[in-house]
Amino acid sequence: MTKLTKYIIVWVIALCQTISTAQNCNVFLYQKDTLQYEACLIAEDAYQYYQYSREYQEILDKAIEKCPHFSYAYLNKSTAYLKSGDFITWKYLIDKAVEYNFRENIGYRGWCKFMFFRDYQGAIDDIEALEAVSKGNIGYSAGGHYHLKVAKALCYKQLGDVKKAIYIMEQYMHDTTNQISVFDHLHLGVMYLETGIYDKAITQLNLQSVQNDIAENQYYLALCHQKMGNDSLFSEHITKAKEMYLRSQKMVFHYTEPIDRVYLEEINQALIGNEKANK
Amino acid sequence: MYKTIIFFFSIVFMTESCQHPSVPKNSKYLSMVGDIAQDPKLDDPNFTLCDEKNTKQYHNLNEEMQYEGEKYALDQTFATQFKADPTIKDSGMIRIRFIVNCKGETGRFRLMSSGYDYKEKQFNNAITDQLLTITKSLKGWKILSDKRGPKDYYQYLIFKITDGQIKEIMP
Repeated sequence: MTKLTKYIIVWVIALCQTISTAQNCNVFLYQKDTLQYEACLIAEDAYQYYQYSREYQEILDKAIEKCPHFSYAYLNKSTAYLKSGDFITWKYLIDKAVEYNFRENIGYRGWCKFMFFRDYQGAIDDIEALEAVSKGNIGYSAGGHYHLKVAKALCYKQLGDVKKAIYIMEQYMHDTTNQISVFDHLHLGVMYLETGIYDKAITQLNLQSVQNDIAENQYYLALCHQKMGNDSLFSEHITKAKEMYLRSQKMVFHYTEPIDRVYLEEINQALIGNEKANK
Repeated sequence: MYKTIIFFFSIVFMTESCQHPSVPKNSKYLSMVGDIAQDPKLDDPNFTLCDEKNTKQYHNLNEEMQYEGEKYALDQTFATQFKADPTIKDSGMIRIRFIVNCKGETGRFRLMSSGYDYKEKQFNNAITDQLLTITKSLKGWKILSDKRGPKDYYQYLIFKITDGQIKEIMP
């Protein structure tokens, strides 16, 4: 590839990015909100910097100075504080983003409370507040792995109300307009396991195997069969769980540890426990 | 003599630039959100970084936290070593942020705490001192590398405390 060709490609990409970002700002212009439009143009400069950086934060401060109700700047400023675990500054900034654009940001705040700070009640309150103002689908988590209803179900489970969690999951999965995400069958299967409904747990975990087979669903399948007294199926699934784990076929989330994650030591302990029981 | 003077000024300049990496004096921000500058009053002078200006975040170098025995081992350590005092009923969140250097050593520990309302709050020292002591004693942090080799990186632990007891540890 010649230098000129490379230059043209880079230029076209840059032009496309500029046009697409400018169109986002044009939304404010279309709404005749010139203050947010001008703040949006200022904020565009921040995106060339790493979100942790001083430059990124300072440019977004200028956008806020231009338009104090520009929620997008608060939202973007909050991200580095979220990822670095600064829950005090994060909460201040995300609350501002929610205050100035409730519909767009309340679900995201709930998701972050759940995933980053295990604030289950706070997450439920936010997701239910979103449901109260939404006519249709309330949408997915940041990253798209979870529908917010599934996140809400997991929060209820973590607070000890597994029956309510199952009810929410069943309602969600029964609705054919909803898309089943990569871990939904696993989570519902574990909920059934925790309440002793082993046949339904096995059904869900087998569905998980078909959709996205990972060490976790094999581990929980093994536990179901162990509870039902089927040693050979327990051994089969726990062995498979370990093999998959060692191949890194497991739940991995960026930044935080997911609910129902299984660790190698837990798999090993289940294996050792079974060997001792069989001696 | 001439070389000695140049060497002396070079060392002074390098030390200064390490402590204040390109941050204008009038900025309210550090170079990066969450940066921890070395504080002689708080920090072990023997704890050094490979590249002060290029300290990463743990999630820059791997998708998830990297600890020997995984988070399971870390949870077990706190479960066995932390002794809750039944008379202390503090609740909320405590974050301990620190650096794991390119040799896998830890230092520059800093503490932040809030109630469950996310508002700043001081916890009883019996809780925070224990958490700090245990966190400082952890030896399982893995050395994380990028293409150029081992890096220094920021790590944090957040403890959810309810009625003086550890309920969960994050990330």
